[in-house]
Amino acid sequence: MLSSNPIKKSLNWLGRQLFNQENPAAFFDPLVTPINPLWIRGFTPAQVQDIITETADTKTFVLKPSNRWSGFEAGQHVNLSVDIDGVRYTRTFSLSSTPARWAEDGTITLTIKRLPGGLVTNWMHDNLKAGTVLGLSKAFGDFLVPTSVEPLLFIAGGSGITPILSLLETLEKDHYRAPVALLYFVRTQADVIGAERLYALRQRWPAFNLQVVHSQEDSKPVYLGEQHLDTIPGIKARLCYLCGPKGLMDLASDLLGKYGISDDRIRVTFFSAPAPVFTGESGGLVTFSRSGKEVEADDGKALLELAETAKLNPKYGCRMGICHQCKCTKTSGTVVNSLTGKVSSPGEEQIQLCISVPQGPVTIEL
Amino acid sequence: MIKLTNEQLDALAKDLDAIRDEALADLGERDAKYIRKILRLHRTLEVGGRVMMPFGFIPPVFVAAVASLGLAKILENMEIGHNVMHGQYDWMNDPALNSQTYEWDTVCTSDSWRRTHNYEHHTYTNIIGKDRDYGYAVLRLSDDQKWHPAHSLQFINYILLTVFFQWGVGLHELETEKLRSREIRLRDKLPLIKEFFQKGGRQAFKDYVFFPLLTLPVAPIVLLGNAGANLIRNLWASTVIFCGHFTEQAETFTEEECEGESKGHWYLRQISGSSNFTGGLWVHILSGHLSHQIEHHVFPDIPAHRYREMAPKVQAICEKYGITYNTGSFGRQYMTVLRKIAHYSLPDRVRLKLQAA
Repeated sequence: MLSSNPIKKSLNWLGRQLFNQENPAAFFDPLVTPINPLWIRGFTPAQVQDIITETADTKTFVLKPSNRWSGFEAGQHVNLSVDIDGVRYTRTFSLSSTPARWAEDGTITLTIKRLPGGLVTNWMHDNLKAGTVLGLSKAFGDFLVPTSVEPLLFIAGGSGITPILSLLETLEKDHYRAPVALLYFVRTQADVIGAERLYALRQRWPAFNLQVVHSQEDSKPVYLGEQHLDTIPGIKARLCYLCGPKGLMDLASDLLGKYGISDDRIRVTFFSAPAPVFTGESGGLVTFSRSGKEVEADDGKALLELAETAKLNPKYGCRMGICHQCKCTKTSGTVVNSLTGKVSSPGEEQIQLCISVPQGPVTIEL
Repeated sequence: MIKLTNEQLDALAKDLDAIRDEALADLGERDAKYIRKILRLHRTLEVGGRVMMPFGFIPPVFVAAVASLGLAKILENMEIGHNVMHGQYDWMNDPALNSQTYEWDTVCTSDSWRRTHNYEHHTYTNIIGKDRDYGYAVLRLSDDQKWHPAHSLQFINYILLTVFFQWGVGLHELETEKLRSREIRLRDKLPLIKEFFQKGGRQAFKDYVFFPLLTLPVAPIVLLGNAGANLIRNLWASTVIFCGHFTEQAETFTEEECEGESKGHWYLRQISGSSNFTGGLWVHILSGHLSHQIEHHVFPDIPAHRYREMAPKVQAICEKYGITYNTGSFGRQYMTVLRKIAHYSLPDRVRLKLQAA
């Protein structure tokens, strides 16, 4: 394989000269897409193989990524790109299956709950069919299995269970010796995601202590408290993993602190795509991610001016929304188009700095 | 340009914005399907042309190969490259159709094009002295520019410009007229010159070195065919573009009348300075819908295939305000362009006498 790299490099150089594209293989994408979409080179394709209903509002999507996909570790996430009415949306989801399964049959699963008002999750639930091809990013994230064997405590809420399912099955398969506990908060028994997998784990893995807490079953809601944590033997020595709604995570961090567990012993991962934070008012913290600069949004000021206030020199032209010279990637946050008054979606997309007014916190690649 | 009151200009802006908003709200699957269909057609024509070219020793195959490659270049430059770089498809969030990173199949670098065309030409359309696309600094097309004896030979300039159009566009930002007048120094343009040689070299390497050498025994045929395809594209692209702003009725403006202009005035100037031509579906597609130059200048970042359906609405608005909607057959519009180039090559005295006659 030593010689393949220079050959690959020179072919890539030649391709760039011939097709004027940074990724010359993608030149043929429009031709191969109708033949076999898994041959697409412009992004890493993954085909939907099966869709399994978990609960009333949660489904598991079984995907087969193309052979180019570089794999993942238990507990990691991927960015998934879907085309909805001509627009490509990219959202982050946790992988709910194990690397062992991917090694075995080449499939991965994403377990996704409908987000109220969420464009992408609802579209996936309602429209996605087996056979559809989606875009898949490299896996990322550091919500990983511990490097040394020690007692663990997982606290999950709702669909926050998804990366933990992958972690637990991986630990069991590796015959993890130390005790592992899971406190899983769901509204009712019907909302348990991955129930079969969790109960099967409890059956065959003696070190695993599973507690499912129904928070909304009775008239009085149940919150995480000492009555739950006190049941975990040797809790102070446990390495903790948290994944769930923000309220639960904040509460858990607080309580674990009271048990004397330091922050570096608590691993936290994001729970779901941030819900739209559109407040109807302009303003908020604008973060320019490449330069690391931050600026507080001024009422009604467009991002181009704000970037210049932060002593950045973004490319621009007409400053009136015509020429698109100032186009940049917004990685998160909501902006309003000052010409049309249209509110953007909260995810990653291209925006014109000169006519985009931030609404709440916004991150721009600048 | 017709004189409208400030209230009328504001109303005009509101009316045109309404058409724009309606189109923006409707963007979706249909536009994505359209541009991907054009991309597929472009790839088919390009691959087909390149594959057929070495068999060009058979005359009909040569014709088919040159036509196929020429059409591919036309589609890529006009319906894909030009329109994608205007940001018409940015809303799709597809990196392959991103206005700021797209690189097209012609000598001019996309960066230079985005500056000279998207920004300068579309912002300062037809303002003499600010829109360098007006006459491309080699043609005198208005009496706002003083006649010089060299202008009497400008028809030769025109022929050279149209034949070598992609190289002319590639060097457009060099601003040779300002270099000659010592307004700027060559040193300031060194990065541009470097990029010109890189991109121009890449284009020449592909068409005149790599593909001919790849099929060495028939290299002269491939070389000739590739040159033919480039020529077809140059002639067509320049002719379409000239019909967009240099027709008899297309107006020019002075810097003074556009100072601090309102959105409505900008709209009025875009309409008055542009001209359409009529034709069948494929004339529109192959012109990148610059056959709807008026709609393009009013809505530069709306997917161009929609100009066809937006045109009647724009025309109705023009009627409402008494604005000339400049359109005609391709042949008629082109004739007025040629006449204009010829007329303005003459000293004003002779030209006025001739035009009066």
